Amino acid sequence: MNSGKLNNSVKILVFSTEKISDPAIDMAGLLKLHYPPTVYTITVPCSSAVKPRWIMHALEQGFDGVFIAADGTDCPYGETCTEKTGKLVQETQDKMKELGMDPARLKMAAICSICSEPFVKHVKSFVETLNGMS
Amino acid sequence: MSEHKKILEYDVLVIGGGIAGGECSLNLANLGFKVLLVEKDLTIGGKMIMLSKVFPTLDCSACITTPKVSEIARHPNITIFTGSEAVKVTKLAEHNFEAVVIKQPRYVNVEDCTGCQLCEEACPVSVSDQYQYGLVGRKAAYIPCSIASPRAAAIDIDNCTLCGACERVCPTNCIDFTQTEEEYLVKVKSVVVATGFNLFDPLKIPRYGYGKFKNVITSMQMERQLAPTRPYNTILRPGDGKMPDNIAYVLCTGSRDKSIGNPICSQVCCMYSIKQAQLLMGALPMADVTIYYLHIRAFGKGFNEFYAQARGMGVEFIKGKIGKITEKENGNLLLRYEDIEEGKVKEAEHDMVVLSVGLLANSEVSESFTNKELELDQFNFVQQTDMLANPSKTSIDGVFVAGTASAPMDIPDSILSGGAASAQTISYLKQVTEK
Amino acid sequence: MKQDQSKKSDNIQQAKTSVSPVREDSKVAYKKRIGVYVCHCGGNISDYVDVEKVRQVVENEEGVFLAKTTMFACADSNQKEMVEDIVTQKLDGVVVASCSPKLHLLTFRAVTERAGLNKYNYVHANIREQVSWAHSDNKQGATEKAIRIVRSAIAKVRRSQALEPIKVEAVRTVAVIGAGVAGMKAAVKLAKSGVLVYLIEREFFVGGRVAQWDNLCISDETGKELITRLYDDILSHKNITLFTGAEVVEKSGSIGNFSLKVKITPRYIRMQCNKGELQKAIDVCPVEVPDKFNFNITKRKAIYHNYPGEYPQLPAIDIENCTRCGECEKVCSSIDFNQKPEYLDIRAGSILLATGFDPYEPKKGEFGYGEIDNVVTLPQFKRIVHYCNGDKLQFKGRNIHNIAYIYCVGSRQVNGENKYCSRYCCTSNIYTAIDAKKRFKDINNFHFNRGIRTYGKQEILYDESSRLGDIYLQSFEDNPPEVKVVDGKTVVSINDILTQDKKLEVEADLVVLVTGMVPRKDNSIGNLLKVPRGRDKFFNEIHMKLRPVETVIDGITIAGAGQGPKNIVESMTSALAAATKSFTIVASGELALEPTIAKVSKDDCEWCGKCDDACPYDAFTPKEIDGKTVAVVNKSVCKGCGMCLPVCPSNAIQLTGLSDDEVESMIDALMEN
Repeated sequence: MNSGKLNNSVKILVFSTEKISDPAIDMAGLLKLHYPPTVYTITVPCSSAVKPRWIMHALEQGFDGVFIAADGTDCPYGETCTEKTGKLVQETQDKMKELGMDPARLKMAAICSICSEPFVKHVKSFVETLNGMS
Repeated sequence: MSEHKKILEYDVLVIGGGIAGGECSLNLANLGFKVLLVEKDLTIGGKMIMLSKVFPTLDCSACITTPKVSEIARHPNITIFTGSEAVKVTKLAEHNFEAVVIKQPRYVNVEDCTGCQLCEEACPVSVSDQYQYGLVGRKAAYIPCSIASPRAAAIDIDNCTLCGACERVCPTNCIDFTQTEEEYLVKVKSVVVATGFNLFDPLKIPRYGYGKFKNVITSMQMERQLAPTRPYNTILRPGDGKMPDNIAYVLCTGSRDKSIGNPICSQVCCMYSIKQAQLLMGALPMADVTIYYLHIRAFGKGFNEFYAQARGMGVEFIKGKIGKITEKENGNLLLRYEDIEEGKVKEAEHDMVVLSVGLLANSEVSESFTNKELELDQFNFVQQTDMLANPSKTSIDGVFVAGTASAPMDIPDSILSGGAASAQTISYLKQVTEK
Repeated sequence: MKQDQSKKSDNIQQAKTSVSPVREDSKVAYKKRIGVYVCHCGGNISDYVDVEKVRQVVENEEGVFLAKTTMFACADSNQKEMVEDIVTQKLDGVVVASCSPKLHLLTFRAVTERAGLNKYNYVHANIREQVSWAHSDNKQGATEKAIRIVRSAIAKVRRSQALEPIKVEAVRTVAVIGAGVAGMKAAVKLAKSGVLVYLIEREFFVGGRVAQWDNLCISDETGKELITRLYDDILSHKNITLFTGAEVVEKSGSIGNFSLKVKITPRYIRMQCNKGELQKAIDVCPVEVPDKFNFNITKRKAIYHNYPGEYPQLPAIDIENCTRCGECEKVCSSIDFNQKPEYLDIRAGSILLATGFDPYEPKKGEFGYGEIDNVVTLPQFKRIVHYCNGDKLQFKGRNIHNIAYIYCVGSRQVNGENKYCSRYCCTSNIYTAIDAKKRFKDINNFHFNRGIRTYGKQEILYDESSRLGDIYLQSFEDNPPEVKVVDGKTVVSINDILTQDKKLEVEADLVVLVTGMVPRKDNSIGNLLKVPRGRDKFFNEIHMKLRPVETVIDGITIAGAGQGPKNIVESMTSALAAATKSFTIVASGELALEPTIAKVSKDDCEWCGKCDDACPYDAFTPKEIDGKTVAVVNKSVCKGCGMCLPVCPSNAIQLTGLSDDEVESMIDALMEN
């Protein structure tokens, strides 16, 4: 994993949703709630649309962790979102275990459209977790 | 008529850019009608964008309003005038209205303002912030609120000292003190009145001590304390900045009260108070919340369940009438009330009191209609002249009413009412095309 | 799969070694003339991000033709410059790095469109909310992050493709199901707006519940008068086709083009009939059944009118109760037992569902209902008041003086299913009680309530009733009043909290159970259309606050009490609101849907149905193509949510704008050295 590292800080890829968690992450900026600049976001329509292979790709490319900012119960596409996101996370973590990766490198939490503070808290604690691993 | 007037033409003039006027405008615009939306305030979105969360879903109000507001703001068929008023509306004939619209100077060129807030930082003048209901201050150069639309600065000229600090820091040179009041003559085929309501001013009930006792606040002030764009980041009592741990709600403040001239129920206060109580229990887990009520009007979809939920969370409900509120030296408040269940007059101490203020008619709009009377009902709301079959119809054909301009109502009812007004406006407009 | 793996490891190699990793896919024509604009946003971005450095770095990215910085990307002057660049430099893709896409994605898409470039060749990079502001404490980190985000946007735009909105025909017709006040009002409004309307009513007569009421609250117009007004409007409008005795039995299609099969049950009476003979036929019919129209307080024949002058003004034969004795045929030539059910196929662009409610039917023994003969429901009471003439209120031959009203029967249940408040009953009952008191002699009203909910202006009625001397007694949910027979008299007792829990008793001549609204027992139409229901079993809107008449099924709107208890004004208002939404769908005759939807690779798909299970919109159907079954996406139904993406075992599904190639190249770009 270390081969992909660009510098000392851990890199996190966030899969965030256009309508729900993106606004929260944007507002974290607006409120100047700082978090490490090595946290990057890719926007998806719904958190249950994230393919495990994208997560694996990110980890293979050198991301230390992947965070799925899930829609939770706010998902505009349906109530099954949380369950489906949970399932894909579970499947991916199983695959990670098979490949000898620590499944804790993949994290998921529901981030509502105003959950700016929770988002920053989650990211910071994830950074600590990942730092503890390497 | 003045020669400086600029003449504009639209299909529909919508007066009021709250959620009802906005919904109505969007419906009309989506069908290709050209709409002029005139809003008195500096931002559209009405009271709803100021709210914390909405009952009974506890959705964040700002988050669900902002997308709607930006949809309205960028719709090619909607022209928005903020800080503007339709001062005179004349019906010349069917499908032929003329309105005089006056746009107050903002002293900021909205198109160029990027909302960077540098002018706010530079401005040396601090005054009470009306968008935070006086809880905190703002500058004389200011953005009305963080989710305002347009999110552009304005100069409060009454308080501005003309020091020029804002002009110097503005990166786009959009501040323009030479702006003056602009007057427009607007020709339209139909008019929608969506002027909303006024909140009851509790100064009219001196025995509650509002304005005298600092820890007696209105429900709208509490709403601001609970909102994501809240001023303090937590709940504080204004008297001494202490976190309250025993909060009382006084329902029916300014509603169902003939002594202040408003005998009707405001329809939303029970529910918003129950909502605030739930949010307070979340924000201040140790706090006690007591609601003094006469009847709980939890009548809408999911409301009664929401009321039951609040009781389950431990919100205390006391069926009682408040006589008088007095202040103790430590800023706590003594409520003297009649406990209806026990038939006794009792006293209770709370460290903060929230007055659940009611919704009153905003009757000013009827004065703008000059040659035909826009009739009001006995409570000064716009009269619905065929309530059962045509709920948006008013005393003037071609003028329709939407939202709380006609009666107290909650957000979904306002949206429905905005939808109904657009339906009736469309069929009125279709009569023209058929002719 | 194997190929894929090797490709991936190649890429990893590239990522580690080359300055600019390129994941070329030979099938895609990558963009070569990309324009990148990096915004200062006054100082909002440039105070923390070295925008010039960003520009310099990304200028050398593969495919970038020009890279500029700008003080305000959104300013009119810059927009004009962008249009000029796109046209004169023949740019094939555009990236603006500025604020959140929530603010200006559409602005810049419009810019590219104005320049004649397809708007899907625009990609937005957020370097304000997610970079300069979020990392205002770390300028170096912010600049590096900005560079990576812009590179990632460039990687995406290189792979972008021109897309056109999916155009589907919208049939300029709305099917309105249910001809109560809400459905009738919506039909009239739609017809007046200029579309065709099929108004489909299951009963033989229109008017629904309101036809059963006399004076209506606030206006004093009767239910029948209101229905007459609406019916006249319907008849006067050529755009409306009304079906009675009609039920939707099949549905297919989606927004813009629904197909419905409507079953029309015969009346067994010819349309052109002799009215005099018909009355004779009713007279001779030997079958008597409880009259539902009067909530069973009266009886009617098997051949029946709803009420004198109902709409349509033609009786019907209740074939379930008819014994086919033939008596009516002997006196009336208009009777025709040979009529058969008919089936019609109709098409509609939108469906407006206004199927109303059922009044709550108390259980046997609930407050004495069905056991004590002077216990009735509020709807029955209204019909009793209707049928009493003169100044005496009578029921079953007895004079009524003391009336006890028990509120919240079937609503706000502590143990039962109906947790909700039925909204209309407090006001409706108080209005009826006042009416009875004014019309008849010596009426004493006793209201056994749980807290009166005369919200809004309806408060005036509560006030009036108190002034007229009505007595209000209250208890809470856990301590309801009791109805008992004592010495042949019906007695209602309560522990009244308004008098310190004193036990009070009233000897009642009539007990009225103020029953609420319940969802229709028969939800066949809801099941057929797949309109979801809420916890309270009423139809659920898509968003309780902001979209109260739309449903998760695109093209289907809901109005009236089918969505939840409502009074007439509220039903009318929601009907008009729903009419607007349905009209908007069909008005232009065409719908433009977002083209960012799921695509299935025929080669890779081995139909397993998992995508179908995951899809919340039923967008997938199996289809035989080239001898194998594959999943096909219904373009007008797919919303592009992507829920199907991770479940496909053969990775056969790609989302437009978020393909594996796009996402993985973005990840590579973020990680690029």
